Amino acid sequence: MNFTRCSDANPNSHTIYSKKRVKQFNLPHKCFERNVACVWRRGNKIAIFPGSQTTIKTIENCDNKILDIRQEISLFTPILRKLVNEANGAFLSLQKASDMSKSSDNQVEYLKLSRQYRSIVRVCLENLQEATEKASDGLERNSLQSFTTIFYSIECIWHLCEILYIDVIPGEIVLPYILEWARFHFPCHEQTAASILEACEKGSEDNPEYWNTIIGMVVQGRIDVARALLKLHSSSDSSEFKLLDNSMRAMPVYNVYGGISSGEFTISWKHWHAECRSKYTSGSLARQPQLELILRIMIGDYTAFETIRIKYTSWFDMLGGWILFTMPWAKRRELASAAAACAGLTPGEKTHLDIIIQALLEGDLHQVIHEIQQVSDNGWSATHLTDMLYHCGKLQILDKQIDVTAKIRDSLILEYGTLLMEHKSLWSAGLSYLAATPPEGLKRAELLLERIPIDSEAKAMRILAEANKYGLPNVVQTVCGCMSTRRLKSGNSGAALAWGGRTRSTELCARAAEQALRRYCAGAPLPHAELLLTGSTVLLSKYCDFHILYKNREFRKAAKLLVSLITSKLSPDFFWETLLLDTLPLLETETPVLSADETYEIMLCLELHSCALTGKKADMLRFALARNLERTALLNLPDED
Amino acid sequence: MTIDIEGTFVSQKINKIRWIPEEYVETKHFFTGSWDDDENSVKVWTFESVHEDENVENPRELSEYKVAGDVTEIKLIDKNKIAVSLSNGEVRLLEISAYERTSPLREVYTWSKLHHINSERCSCTALDTFEGDIVTVGEDEKVNILNGRRGDITRSISDTDSCSIHSVCFLKLNEVITGNLRGHMKIWDIKRDSNKPVASFHFPGEEVAATCIVQHPTQPHIILAGSECGSLAVWDLRMNKFPTSQLSAHSSGVTEMQFHPENPNKLITCSLSGDVWDWNMESLTKKSGDSYVPLDDKATMNVSSLIPTLHKAVNTIHCNKGRVLCAADNEAIYLIKNLKY
Repeated sequence: MNFTRCSDANPNSHTIYSKKRVKQFNLPHKCFERNVACVWRRGNKIAIFPGSQTTIKTIENCDNKILDIRQEISLFTPILRKLVNEANGAFLSLQKASDMSKSSDNQVEYLKLSRQYRSIVRVCLENLQEATEKASDGLERNSLQSFTTIFYSIECIWHLCEILYIDVIPGEIVLPYILEWARFHFPCHEQTAASILEACEKGSEDNPEYWNTIIGMVVQGRIDVARALLKLHSSSDSSEFKLLDNSMRAMPVYNVYGGISSGEFTISWKHWHAECRSKYTSGSLARQPQLELILRIMIGDYTAFETIRIKYTSWFDMLGGWILFTMPWAKRRELASAAAACAGLTPGEKTHLDIIIQALLEGDLHQVIHEIQQVSDNGWSATHLTDMLYHCGKLQILDKQIDVTAKIRDSLILEYGTLLMEHKSLWSAGLSYLAATPPEGLKRAELLLERIPIDSEAKAMRILAEANKYGLPNVVQTVCGCMSTRRLKSGNSGAALAWGGRTRSTELCARAAEQALRRYCAGAPLPHAELLLTGSTVLLSKYCDFHILYKNREFRKAAKLLVSLITSKLSPDFFWETLLLDTLPLLETETPVLSADETYEIMLCLELHSCALTGKKADMLRFALARNLERTALLNLPDED
Repeated sequence: MTIDIEGTFVSQKINKIRWIPEEYVETKHFFTGSWDDDENSVKVWTFESVHEDENVENPRELSEYKVAGDVTEIKLIDKNKIAVSLSNGEVRLLEISAYERTSPLREVYTWSKLHHINSERCSCTALDTFEGDIVTVGEDEKVNILNGRRGDITRSISDTDSCSIHSVCFLKLNEVITGNLRGHMKIWDIKRDSNKPVASFHFPGEEVAATCIVQHPTQPHIILAGSECGSLAVWDLRMNKFPTSQLSAHSSGVTEMQFHPENPNKLITCSLSGDVWDWNMESLTKKSGDSYVPLDDKATMNVSSLIPTLHKAVNTIHCNKGRVLCAADNEAIYLIKNLKY
C-alpha cells in the first residue's frame, strides 16, 4: 500500500482555517477532481476514492486511485516508542498499586510512580537532545526540537502537579518545593552564578549578566548565592552593600522542623518585612538603583516584579520569588492569588503552558486536563497524568452536578489504547490500556484484536494468549476460525482440523473433516489418526478406526463398524461410493463376516443411493451381495464381542 | 554478589537474543532479532561502560541487517556465523567479522522459499544447528536439512505431519526431534530414506503446541519440551511414549529454555507471563531411568525467579557464564549479571 505524503496544499488557506482548527489538503490526482467519497479503515486511517463511478471496462484504462490517509503519530517514532513502552510499565504498576490499596492509603507508592513517570520523561528528553545533536537532516532536527519543547513542558507540568497534588508535604507549606521546581526548570541563572563564583574575581560586575544573575538568584530564593555574588562587586565594602547584605542575612526562613510555630514565624517575618520597607522609603539605597531594585523585590513590590518580567521567558519563573517575598507561609491550596498576580505581569496572549500552570495553581484540574489534551503528544501526558491524579483521589470533576471523573479518565485511556492498537508492534501495549478500563475497554479490545492482520501462526498464537489472558472467547473463536479456514483453503485439512479443535468448534471441525474425506476420495492419504483424538468428527474418526481394524485383519469387527457407518446415514453424498465399495472385500472373505441382515441393510443403502454408485461397480457389488446372502441366509454369525 | 539487572529500551520487540562467544575475554557483543514490526532486522550490539563506571553497562548498536519478515530463530553455527530463520520462509546464514564487529553482517547463504504451502510462502518457525548442519521446520509441515558449509539442501522430509511444526532440536548427527501445534513429538532419522518418524509420542493431557525443545547437555537421552500453556515435560528417550515427569510451571506459554553451558544442572526458562526462572534440575537428572517420579510441585525442583515479573511476554534468553540476556515484548532488553552457576 502506498501512503502518499500530503503536504499542506495551500498555506494561505491554512491560515484562514486555522482558527477553526481545520486543515486543508489538496488531493494529488485528477481522478479526485469531481466527486470524492471516503470510508474509515482500521484505526486512524481513511481511504479516499473517486465517487460516482461510471463502469469502466478494463483495468488498464482506469486511472482511478484509492488514497489511504492517516494521521502521522509522533509517538510511533523510534525515540518516543521507548517512552511509550516504559510508560506502559509504569501505568500497569500504578493499576496494580491501586488495586492493592483499595482500603489503605498508598501515597508513598503513588509518589514513587509519579517520580518514575518523570524520570521516563527525563530519559526521553536526554535521548531527544542526543538525537538532535546527531541529526543531519534539517527537517528531522526541527521535529526533534519540537518534541523536545513539548516534553520539556510536560516535565514542568508534571513536576508542579506532583508538588501540588501527589507529594506528601509536611505542614502543607509549599514554598521550598515551588522554589526547587523553579530552580530545576530554569537553571540558566544558576549556571552563570556558578561560573562567576568559580572565577571569584573582584569586580565581577563587568560581566554583562552580573546583575541579572543576582536578581535571578534572589527571585529563586538563593539568598546565600546572591550575597556571595554581591561580595564580588568592586565596591562591596560600601555602606549600601552592607545595608542590603544585612537585610538579606536577616531574612527569616520557615522550616517545619525548625521549632517555631508558623504564627511566630509570621510575626518575625512581618517585622523583617517592615524593616526592609522602611529602608526603602528612607531612600538610603537611591544611589545604587540595582541594589534598590533587589530591595524592592524583597519587599514584594509589584512594580519591581513588573520591571524584571521582561528578562524572563514566562511569568512562572518568578512565581517562587513572588511567594517567597509576599506570603512564604502559603499552603498548597492558597496559591491562586499568587498565580493571578504573576500571570498578570504578562501582557498579551497566553500560551497553553501559561494557562495550564495557572489552572494548576488555582486547583482547576478540569481546565488542566482540557488544556493538556491540546498538547501534541498524541494524548500521552493527558492519559497518564489524569490516571495518576485519579488514583491519588485528587481528581473530581463535576458536570451538571454529576461526578464524571472516572468517565473522563476512562475515555482518555480508551483513546490512547486504541491509538496504540493501530501500530503493528505496539498493539500489545495498547491492549493493556484497554484492559485497564473494563467493561468498554474489553469490548473495544475484542473488536480491534479481531482485525489485527495475522501473518504467521506465531502471531496468531500470541493473539490467542492475550485473548485468553483477558477472557475474550470471541477473539479466540475468530482467530482459530480464520486460521482453520486459511489452512483449509490451502488444502491442508489436518492443520485446519487442529485449529478447529482448539476452539472446540463443531462447524470448523466438520468442514475440515469433510475436506479430508473428499481428498481421500481423490487419492490423498488420510490425516494421521491421532489427530482425531479430540475431534468431533465422528465419521472420519470411525472411518479411520475401520481402516485400522481392517489392517489388523479383524474383519468381523471392521465389518460391523462399516455397516454401522452405512446405516447411521452420517455420510455425505460424495462419500457413499467409497463406503459401499469398502464392503466389497468383506463380502468376499473366505469365512463370511457380514450376516444376512447386514447384507440386506447394505442392499437397501445401495438402492437408496443408486446415483452414488452406478454401472459396472454397482453390478459387481450387487453380485457380491447376492453371493454373501446366499451363504449366510441360514447362518448365525457369532458375535465376537 | 547479588543479581543485578539492567534494562534498556530499544524500540523493537526482540524475538531472539544471542551472545557472540569470545574465547579469552568476557563476552560483550550480542545479536538481536526483532519481530512483529513494520520493519524487522538482525542487529549487533555491544555493552559499553558509561562514565568509566564499571558497573553500569549500556548496550550500543553496532550494525543493522534488515530482513523481510519476523526473525523466528537465531542459532550459532560457529563462533562468527549464525543461522537466522524468518517468517517469510527463508533461512539465512550470516557472518560477522571476527575483528571488526561494527562492519555490517555478511550474507553467506540464503535459502529462499524454503517453506511454503502450495506456492504461498509460510513461516519457518524454528531451526537448530549441529556441526555445520541446519535443520529447519515450518508451518508447511516440512523438515529441511541444510548444509551450512556447501549451502545446499541435503534432505527434505515433506508431509511429515498433519499440522504445523513449531519446535525442533538435533539429538545427534542423524536424528532430530520435532514438536508440532498439537503437542506431538516425533523423532526423525534424517539419513534414512523414509517419510516416517522413528518414534513419536505426545504431550500428556490437553492438546497444546510444543513451543521449544532442549536436550540435556550431559545426558543426551533426556529431552525437555515446553508448551504453549506453560508446562514442561521431560522424556527419557530410552523409554519414550510417556514423559518421565511433567511440571505445570509458568502460568503462560514457555518461550525458550536453555541449560547453562557451564552447569548442566541449571536450566533457565522464560515465558509469555513475563517471568525468567532459574531451575535446579539435579533431582531430575540423578534419577535412574525407569523410576517415574511425578514432579507436580515445582518447589521440589528448586526454582527461583531471576527478574521481577515483567508486564509483557519474555521472548528469549541466552546465558553466558554469569551473564544472562533476555528480551521482552515491551521492546526492552535486559542484562542479568552475577548469576551463580
